[in-house]
Amino acid sequence: MKIRFDIISWLIVVGLSSVLSLGCKDQPGTTETTSSSSTKSQLPVDVPRQDVFVVDQIFRYSIVENFNLWMPGPPSPTRQGLIMDTLWYIDQETGEPINALASQPPIYNKDFTQMTVKLRSGVYWSDRVEFTADDLVFTVNNLKSHLGMNWSTELDLFVKKVEKLDDYTVVFDLNLPNPRFHYYFEVRYNAVWMQPKHIWQEVEDPMTFKFNPLVSLGAYEYADADPAGYWELFKRRDDWQRTTAGMLTEKEGPPYIMTIFYGGSERKAIAMARHELDLFMNVDYEAFQAVLQKTPTARSWYKSFPWAYPNELNGRYFGFNLGQDTVLNNKQVRWALTLALDIVDLQTEYIGGVARVTAIPQPATPRLMELYHDPLEEWLKSFQIEIEEGQFYHPYDDSVTERIANWAKTQEYNVPTDASKLRLMFGTGWWKHDLKVAERLLLNNGFTRNANGQWLKPDGKLWTISMIVAPDEVDIYRLAIGAQDQWADFGLKLELETLQRDPYSTRNYMGEFEAISSWGNATSGDATADKWQSIFGLHSRFYTPVGKSTAGSGSSNTLRIKSKEMDSIIDELDRLHPEDQRVVELGQAFMKLWIENMYSIVTISFKKFVTTDEHYWTGFPTSENPFIQPLYWFGGGRFTLQHVEPVSQIAPNR
Amino acid sequence: MNLLKSYLLPRIAQWVITVFIGITVTFIIPRLIPGDPVERTLSSLGSLQTLDPRAVESLKEALADLYGLDGTQFDQYINFWKRLFKGDLGPSLSAFPTPVIEIIAKGLPWTVGLLTTSTLISWSLGIALGTLAGYSPKRLWWQIVDKAFISIYPIPHYILALILVMVFSYYFPIFPLVGGASGKPTLSWTYISSIFEHSLLPATSLIVLSTAFRFIMAKALTTTVAGSDYVGYAETAGLSKWRIVLFYVIQNTMLPQVTDLGLSLGAVFSGALIIEIVFSYPGIGYSLYMGVFQADFNLILGITIFSIVGIATAALIVDLSYPLLDPRVRYK
Amino acid sequence: MKILKDLFKHHLAFRAGAVIVLLVFLLVSLSFFSPYEATERRVVPKNQAPSLNHILGTTALGQDVFWLLTFAIRNSLMVAGLAVLIGRSIAVLLGSFSGYMGGGVDKVLQSIVDSFIVIPRLPLLILISVIVKGGLNLWGLALLLGFLDIFWPSKRYRSQILSLREREFTYTAVFSGMNTFNIILKEHFPFFIPYLLADAVSGFLWAIGMEITLAILGLCDLTRPTIGTMIYWGNYYQALLSQRLWVLAAPVIGSIFIVVAFYLISTSLSEYLDPRTRLKRLGASQ
Repeated sequence: MKIRFDIISWLIVVGLSSVLSLGCKDQPGTTETTSSSSTKSQLPVDVPRQDVFVVDQIFRYSIVENFNLWMPGPPSPTRQGLIMDTLWYIDQETGEPINALASQPPIYNKDFTQMTVKLRSGVYWSDRVEFTADDLVFTVNNLKSHLGMNWSTELDLFVKKVEKLDDYTVVFDLNLPNPRFHYYFEVRYNAVWMQPKHIWQEVEDPMTFKFNPLVSLGAYEYADADPAGYWELFKRRDDWQRTTAGMLTEKEGPPYIMTIFYGGSERKAIAMARHELDLFMNVDYEAFQAVLQKTPTARSWYKSFPWAYPNELNGRYFGFNLGQDTVLNNKQVRWALTLALDIVDLQTEYIGGVARVTAIPQPATPRLMELYHDPLEEWLKSFQIEIEEGQFYHPYDDSVTERIANWAKTQEYNVPTDASKLRLMFGTGWWKHDLKVAERLLLNNGFTRNANGQWLKPDGKLWTISMIVAPDEVDIYRLAIGAQDQWADFGLKLELETLQRDPYSTRNYMGEFEAISSWGNATSGDATADKWQSIFGLHSRFYTPVGKSTAGSGSSNTLRIKSKEMDSIIDELDRLHPEDQRVVELGQAFMKLWIENMYSIVTISFKKFVTTDEHYWTGFPTSENPFIQPLYWFGGGRFTLQHVEPVSQIAPNR
Repeated sequence: MNLLKSYLLPRIAQWVITVFIGITVTFIIPRLIPGDPVERTLSSLGSLQTLDPRAVESLKEALADLYGLDGTQFDQYINFWKRLFKGDLGPSLSAFPTPVIEIIAKGLPWTVGLLTTSTLISWSLGIALGTLAGYSPKRLWWQIVDKAFISIYPIPHYILALILVMVFSYYFPIFPLVGGASGKPTLSWTYISSIFEHSLLPATSLIVLSTAFRFIMAKALTTTVAGSDYVGYAETAGLSKWRIVLFYVIQNTMLPQVTDLGLSLGAVFSGALIIEIVFSYPGIGYSLYMGVFQADFNLILGITIFSIVGIATAALIVDLSYPLLDPRVRYK
Repeated sequence: MKILKDLFKHHLAFRAGAVIVLLVFLLVSLSFFSPYEATERRVVPKNQAPSLNHILGTTALGQDVFWLLTFAIRNSLMVAGLAVLIGRSIAVLLGSFSGYMGGGVDKVLQSIVDSFIVIPRLPLLILISVIVKGGLNLWGLALLLGFLDIFWPSKRYRSQILSLREREFTYTAVFSGMNTFNIILKEHFPFFIPYLLADAVSGFLWAIGMEITLAILGLCDLTRPTIGTMIYWGNYYQALLSQRLWVLAAPVIGSIFIVVAFYLISTSLSEYLDPRTRLKRLGASQ
């Protein structure tokens, strides 16, 4: 009796659970209908759904209701643009400088020791006090006298004296000549935000001051927040027309903007399918495909393949620790590794074909391609490396975009046929996939192959490279496994060490890696021609030995490069005004130097699936209408969000 | 008086020693994390804006000074205790200068509320079902329940939670995706019902898994007791089944169960990280998790102190209340 | 051997458990004959649902789920097994030593044990995994899990020993002149072993669960297939969202099978070994 029951009961349990799991599997077809028919919004705020534009908050805040963004701490995406303001912005898409609180570009004296700023009139704080030169002068002096606050030591280093000439004119006297001093007040992600003097002058300790209630200089003001940091709600100011975002766009923007952190990619996809998220910054490729399927009103930069926004100014690379004594310190070995990679395979099979290829340490955006990639194309084609004594080789391959396009056709994607359009879609040429030459380079440097075809180092030991990588940075991880697969075919074992993002960064800064799949430093770019921001920290005077953190010395030289030639390029660039003609030449010289030495193997530009759901809101920039940066979480996103408007059928009475 | 001296005082002294060692260990271990908090701050700043290397050195010094990380480790340790006795857990280093206590105060009620409720429910449910199943193991119904719980028990919490989210927030979008409640905290029905609505899925995932665990425990305990002499006598005496279960079986399995309950309740302070990640539910688990990655010593220590004191105190209370629960035990 | 035969004859649960365990070990040994290396990718078509060619389907990276599972189970069993072995053997020694010695030694040991018990384990695990340079490999993980699972069990073993010491038969044995070692071996261990076995299974479960949790948080070596990392990667490539349930189902069902099998074996073993039920069984067969 007992035996039978035992078996029966097991069968019942197994049967029930399989019925349940099958039941779940069959459901998805109904998703769209159920979610759109539910009218009740499950957003955690009591605001009509049509009045609030819901954007992805990127991460969960550890503290809310503290608007002292001048203390170094967790970053403040999106909200810095909504509530703060400063003198200038650079639009990250168009590269256009925007005069915000300043009415015109900075005026320098001849030797760059004095900068004059003309301010815009008629801009008001949310407590109806006008923004004037007093606020700017106060902000600079206040930060200068509280070392430890953001920008404090830099302002302290450069500013000798700041004074107002009249309510709309301020003059900075500098300690050192600095043709880029205005960069501190020019937003890429953020910059020195203005403090209202009439509030802050009363504050005893600006470091612990929470600036709450907030006095906003943006078009929005604080309305509500989740104490647990999952979301924040901002309300449009009644007098939004008296802010630079309102003045410059002449658009009113949504009545409310809510930033909300849903969690990982899958949760953002779910939220968008429920129409509880109107805009997100990024998800991984698989989640994005699910979004396309489940949310017909959602789209990214391109309406169809390759979808993703390709113009964020950064790139991916494989780097090698040059501060350690390994075979990777030999540039011919690095070239061999480069030629053993197949960029078309990497870009298609591992990245899904959705990013631009770049061979030089500069992101391949339309504007930067004009300034750098296109002019350098001839040089790249004629560029040679020496394989053996007197034997030269042309490594550049300009057929890459065409081959990617061919792959895309096999996937039944629509791609343009025009070569220049393909270049805009998939980027530039790259290095040949030439295992023969790679082999010769290694053989000439004393490497040998064992019976299994695996490479032995000159000292006779099996050659393995250990590479650190953070899987939660999707692209660098996928590129790394691509390199692992491709180098394995070449007879080289790449060991991947998967780390959580923070320990990964620490290892990167400390130089505790042999190889790394990463992004940034020389590979990042500026929306303008100036390469200074991304390469100044590579100067050998800031060189940080392995074992000490580059973060602690302000250097960006995590690869531990030491080069006299690079130093002289940087020195010259540092003295020039960013709009000087010579700036582009120096940038190009830097890139040539990088390639000749193959300091790091640059692969692709950034891509982000910045996606909007046009169910409630529209007006966001797209590839058809790229009038402004879609990087809404940057400081300049304040202008982008202002352009967002309701979809008309939702509000027929308008 | 004798009781106090011979039992209570040593037991309390033990509590003090345990807490002291526990806190000291948690003071030391986070300081072994490679890279220090100042460098963390600088690197996160550097990823957002170009820091001029010429000004970084002085920023570094200023921050080290602000964070109170100057002086030897031993000085910091002494300072830590001095502050702690004043009830000050120091500032969070990753969200400087926010006091750690402020971060904890925001998250802790959610964590404690969710975990306490679900622990109590699963504890009672598990014991009730487990005891009945253990007492009449041959019924088909209990056999099914038994097998179901054994199969549920090994399911990773993360997977169960994810499935709940997919089914009830995606395929059937019934439950909210984020947070612990909607609207402003008030004593209104809408607010309280929203708390209930938000916590239902997280609580279900917790309850299902820990009920399975309790069920298995309770069933095992009941099986031994059910085979014992006094239950046999009771059965021969013709007592009703419910009487036997209630007064003979449950009472005799209660002691280890209560001990366990006490300790589980003491452990609620360490948070429910997986719940917070999968359900986007508020709490301190995620703060602690991020604290580890940002080398935020003060935050790690601050949250862990609650946990340490919680568990140690629960153990103390359980020990002291043994004689109340089981007349056979006397303070010796 | 005789015990096993006996058990196999009398216990359905044991039989079922043994069969599953056998299957699991078969699966594990199959990993040595896998046509693919554990870390190889792009060897089979991507994202295929289970079919005759790939009975458990394939992953987003072009791996065969079935063969991947053989490696995963092997590694997970190794980690959990080693952790239990390390943790429980130290715990038994510590607990029984403390319990038998009593007095000052017991007090000191218990203070140390208590201090570790009050530190929450998951945060401690996360902390250590961040501190260990190069992350945790499988051996390090096993060692760490073993170490963290000493204190709780040792406390339970101690109280078990304490209660055994107070039992009547101990006094009888002492009066009849048995030496301590013999008492422990002959009188106490028969009672202690069933408890230990049941407890070891829960330790095994805990270790598997922790391995999964750490993998999901991305804190252990994600390049080696384990049950945890299979779940991590399945999730990483959005198996649930993209309706590729088979990628997650394999490791989850795998772990359920393993745990249920060990559970069945341990309950039947402890029932069999429990002196009281043994007496009963003897009575019944006579």
